[in-house]
Parts: sequence; structure tokens; C-alpha cells
Amino acid sequence: MEVNGQLALTVLMGIFLIAVAAWLARVEDWRSYTPLAGGGAVGSTEQYVSEEKPSGVIRWLTTVDHKDIGILYGAYGLIAFAVGGLMVVVMRLELADPASTLISNTFYNSLLTSHGITMLFLFGTPIIAAFSNYFIPLLIGADDMAFPRINAIAFWLLPPAALLIWAGFFPIPDVIPAQTAWTMYTPLSAGAGSGNQMNAGVDLMLLGLHLSGVSATMGAINFIATIFTERNEKVTWANLDIFSWTILTQSGLILFAFPLLGSAILMLLLDRNFGTMFFAVDGGAILWQHLFWFFGHPEVYILVLPPMGIVSLVLPRFAGRRLFGFKFVVYSTLAIGVLSFGVWAHHMFATGIDPRLRASFMAVSLAIAIPSAVKTFNWITTMWNGKIRLTTPMLFCIGFVSNFIIGGVTGVFLASIPVDLVLHDTYYVVGHFHYIVMGAIAFAGFAGIYYWFPLYTGRMYQVTLGKWHFWLSMVGTNLTFFVMVLLGYGGMPRRYATYLPQFATLHQIATVGALILLAGQIIFVWNFVQSWLEGPKVEDGDPWDLADDDLLTSEWHWFDRKLQTAVADGGEEEAELATDGGERIDDSQSSSDVSSDGGEPVDETDVASDE
Amino acid sequence: MASKTFDKETILDLTVNMVPLVIILFFVVGFAVFNPFGVDTLTSGLQFSIMVAAFVLLAALTYLSGKAIAGSEKTDVVYPPGQATVPGVKPLHEEHAEAEAELDESGDGDAVEAAEGTA
Repeated sequence: MEVNGQLALTVLMGIFLIAVAAWLARVEDWRSYTPLAGGGAVGSTEQYVSEEKPSGVIRWLTTVDHKDIGILYGAYGLIAFAVGGLMVVVMRLELADPASTLISNTFYNSLLTSHGITMLFLFGTPIIAAFSNYFIPLLIGADDMAFPRINAIAFWLLPPAALLIWAGFFPIPDVIPAQTAWTMYTPLSAGAGSGNQMNAGVDLMLLGLHLSGVSATMGAINFIATIFTERNEKVTWANLDIFSWTILTQSGLILFAFPLLGSAILMLLLDRNFGTMFFAVDGGAILWQHLFWFFGHPEVYILVLPPMGIVSLVLPRFAGRRLFGFKFVVYSTLAIGVLSFGVWAHHMFATGIDPRLRASFMAVSLAIAIPSAVKTFNWITTMWNGKIRLTTPMLFCIGFVSNFIIGGVTGVFLASIPVDLVLHDTYYVVGHFHYIVMGAIAFAGFAGIYYWFPLYTGRMYQVTLGKWHFWLSMVGTNLTFFVMVLLGYGGMPRRYATYLPQFATLHQIATVGALILLAGQIIFVWNFVQSWLEGPKVEDGDPWDLADDDLLTSEWHWFDRKLQTAVADGGEEEAELATDGGERIDDSQSSSDVSSDGGEPVDETDVASDE
Repeated sequence: MASKTFDKETILDLTVNMVPLVIILFFVVGFAVFNPFGVDTLTSGLQFSIMVAAFVLLAALTYLSGKAIAGSEKTDVVYPPGQATVPGVKPLHEEHAEAEAELDESGDGDAVEAAEGTA
């Protein structure tokens, strides 16, 4: 009887699923996709039949096209950026006052933990994957990634990862957010002591983190295979573009770093749930730190190398010349990749590890500064006497270089043991690494978003809003994080929800800076969404006039072919036209329908936005 | 064969990685000569193995990547990075030849230097 009941339920479920599939097939036009040159695709016009890909929501749920997956990664990364950003806005508002006024200390700890993990694992890594998925195959002349389905799986592991990481914030009974900070130091994260970190929220966060690591590893294997085996025959090691070099190096780092994080997380989960004692015995806390930072420091370079690649690719396009010392940048990228595995214990100088060990990690940490500095000089030299066009992507590239210098120099001091012992666990460290993660990595991300905006949307963004976004971000970043450097010099410890009144003024300035950053990002979201939906259409495959300086790269050539082979969409007249990067615009067009971001003089009325 | 692959220009390119190698070597020698915290078999062994491992791995990767890049420069047509599949883009050796031809015509030494600088 019981078996029959189960059988009936199974049959019912089967019928239900078939009904859902049939309904979706009716709602979505499965035969409405038009493939174009180079694997591109447009529209959902019913006249054109293809069995390759459906349209609508089903397209996004089933796609294995590297460009679609790139866009999925991008959307995911930007949503995570918004979540992580709003979390920190609440924290900064709390820090406007020395006492605990707006939120509780425990909620502050929860936000602090989630902000870090969200920004590093749910924004940083995915937004880089967005660019690499979309552009690596185009740049190296491949049809797609080596393993398109693994590519899709790697992305689809991320949404559940985010849900698990944020699970503590959802109204689930008895589940609270993790308060371990992103470093998850034991014994706190092992649930020891009288705190509340034995809660299932921490386990869910660890599982989510593990899932994101699996996703990153699958992606890395895919990129290594793609760059090694799928290159066009003309694309050799001698002319591989710099972004692909950085992604290749980053993938190598992921391959060695993330599995270690996965293992450490499993050990921690076993300690928490199955009574093992990996981190509970003498030396357990130091063991966790070694395991974590052996992953954690390469993670820094996992996050910063591809943005360096974006800047190395984009910056020369608006300096009117090729990257100075291209091979220096390639070799220094590889050097950073190797050395990043020999510096992990510089995060542990203050733990009391043997001074001889500290000394060796200091030596390698000082050595790794060289390849980073080499790149900086290459970017500056590329711009030196160049034909600079201050477009929005170029502004973000220059902002990247500027912020990276401050973030880098403050980091060199931390590599020195005596200085680190003074500044360890102060806001100086927070200021230093935020100059890198926000001032450099996010800036390079924005440079890429604006630079390729015409390519992946077919439309142009609003130039004035783009520049507002840059300047507010630049001012906000420097205001917030330079003040943190000063706070650190003053001895303000990091991670606290409350502080002594003597730090109030600097904290308030940092909060103002964070609000300026928020304003900039609101403008970005508005510009991004509105321009994608309503921006002027790009009709030239070379919207930045790169061919004029012989700087046109493969992905723009692909875009040009896509535009030329575009199937007419019913003969509708296009009123909106975008210029191709600096040419004068016909005054008769309405102000919202035109754009130019090429750096050549354009009338104010031409570039005015809707706002 | 190896000496042909690693010509003067390639070695010049690789100097960028020799600087961190020299820094690590400086500390290896420095700590070997003067170790303010004394010598202990385990910790001193770890101390030197961390630096030596970083040195050896960096040297090996620099060698292999230099060999791959310089080797492909010798055997394949070299285009500007990221532009190999763009129609109409000239290989670098043709650009150099044109720059040299311009130099012959104008007798201006700076033209070639400028062209090489951007390549």
C-alpha cells in the first residue's frame, strides 16, 4: 500500500514536470534564435529558425555559450557587489558614532564577515570570470571554451553558494549569520567557547564557500585547457594578449590554492560537526592560519592579476600606442604567480611563529613587490607622451594605477616585520588592502565594463554619467581608505563596531567617503541599466577608433563581423545612433540619443545625459 | 639551440624576473652568513627551503616561459599581442622592415629606435 502511494506520487510528479516542460515550450519560443558569425547571436525574431539555442529565460538557464555565461557571471557579480556594498554602508553608518547605536555589535560582526566573503568570493572572482568567459575565446580566436558544459556548471554552482553564504540573514529559525570574519580563524570558527558560532549559519557559510571554490576550480581548469588548446593557429605564445596571460596565471593559482581552501574548510566542518580535533589541539589555531593563508595570499593575486590584465589591455588603447615593455608585464605576471605561494605567513608575523621563518617570508614578500612595481612603471611609461584620450574606461585605468601605487606602497611597509608588528590588526591594513580591492580591482572592473559596454550591449553608455561615476568613486575611495591608513597610524584596531571618541572625526570622514562611493555606484547602476535598455545603438565595429592607431584587437574585429552580418530585424528605422569614439555628432539628434567618449572635443549638449 | 633561443633581447626581457631572484638570493646569502636568531635544524631548514623553493620555482618558470615565447618568436609569424586574427594587421617583422626602410630614406636614427620601442 505504501509502495503504491509512493508510485502514485512519482507518477504525479512526472506528469507535473512534463506539464511544466510543455508550458515552458509554449511560453518560450524554442525555435527563435539566430546564430551569427563567430558564434554571436541576436534577437528572438520568429522568422529565423535555429535549434542551437532558445530565447527568453530558457536561453539563460540552458546556455553553454561562453558569452551568455560571461553575462551571467557579470550580472551575478554586480548583484553581489550591490549586496556587499550595502552591507558596508550600514557598517560605515554605524561607525559614524563611537558607540553602538544603529546596529548591535553582533550584527556588525555578521555584516563584517559577509561583506568580506561576498566581495572576495561572490563579486571579485565572478566579475573576473565574466570578462574572461566573454573575451578570452574571442581574444584567442577560439569557437568557445574547451568545456562549455563545465563552464555552465561552474556558474550554476554560484547561486546556491551565495544563498548558503547569506543563509544566516534569511528568516530561518535558529540560523544566525556567521561572525567569524572572512578569515574564519579557529577556535572561534570551530565553535569553541561560550559564543554563538556553533550555529548552523556558520556551517552553511562554510559549505557555500566550498561550493564557490569548486566553481572557481572548474572554471580555472576550463581556462587553462582553453588557452592551451583552443587558440587560433595564428595566436602563439609570442603574441598571446596580456589579458589571456593574466587569466592563465590566475587559473594556475586557483588550481593550487582553492583545493587547499576546500580541504581546510572540510577539516573545519569535521571539527565542528563530527568531533575531530584538527584545530582543537595545541597548534591548531596556527595550523588553520597556515592552511588558510596558503590559500589566502594567492587569492589576493587571483583577484588582482586579471584586473591588471584588463588595465594592460585597455590603457594602451587610449594612450594611442602599444603597451610599453609587453614582455616585462608577461614575465612579471608569471613571477607574481609563483612568488605568491611563498609569502603567506606575512599575514602571521604577529602570531609568534619562529623569527627565522618570519624572516624568510619577509624576504619573498619584498621580492614580490618588484614585479608589481614593474607593471606600474610600464603603465606610466605607456602613457608618457602618449596620445591620451580621457574616456571613462581610461579614467578608471588611470585611477587604478594611482590607487594601486598607494595600495602597493602601503603594502611594502607591511612586508617589513618590525613595521607590521606595529601596524598589525589596525585600520592601516584595512586601508591598504581596500586601496587594492576597491581602488584597483573594482576600478579595473569598471574600466572593463565601460570599455566593452558597446560590444556586449550593442549600445553606448551615457558619457557624463560615466565620468560622474568615476570621479565620485575616485574621491570616495581616497577619502575613505586614506583616512583608514591614518586611523591605523593612530592605533585604531580593525573589526570593532565601537571605538574610542578620539577616532570619531576620522571615522566620520571615512563614512562620508563611503556615502560618496554609494552615490557614485547608484549613478553607475542607473547608467548601466538605462543605457543597456535605451542607449544609442553602436553601428561601428570599432567604437573607440582603435584601428586609427593600429590597436584594434580580435574581440572588436569579432564585434565588427557581428554587426556586418546582423540580420535585418524587420526594417525598423533606427533613430538612435552612437558615434564611434570621438567624432562630432550631428546636432539634430536628441541629447539622450547620442554619445561620444573618445576624448575629442564634443559639444556639451551632445554628451548631456537624460538627467 | 638553447643559446639561439635565449638571445640578447630575450635575456634582456627576462631581467625583469632576475631582480626578485637577486633579492631572494641576497637574503639567502645574508641569512647564511649572519643569522641573528641562531641556527636550528628544523626552523633554519624551513627558513632556507621557503626561500630556495621560491627561487628555484621562479627561475624554472621564467626559463620555461622564456623558452616558449622566444621559441615561438623564432618559429612562427609574430603579430602584435591580441591582434593576430585581425585582418590587415602586419606582422611585427614587417613593421620593423618598414621602419628600417624609412630610416634608410630619411637617415634618421630615431625612427628605428621609436619603432622598436613600441614593438
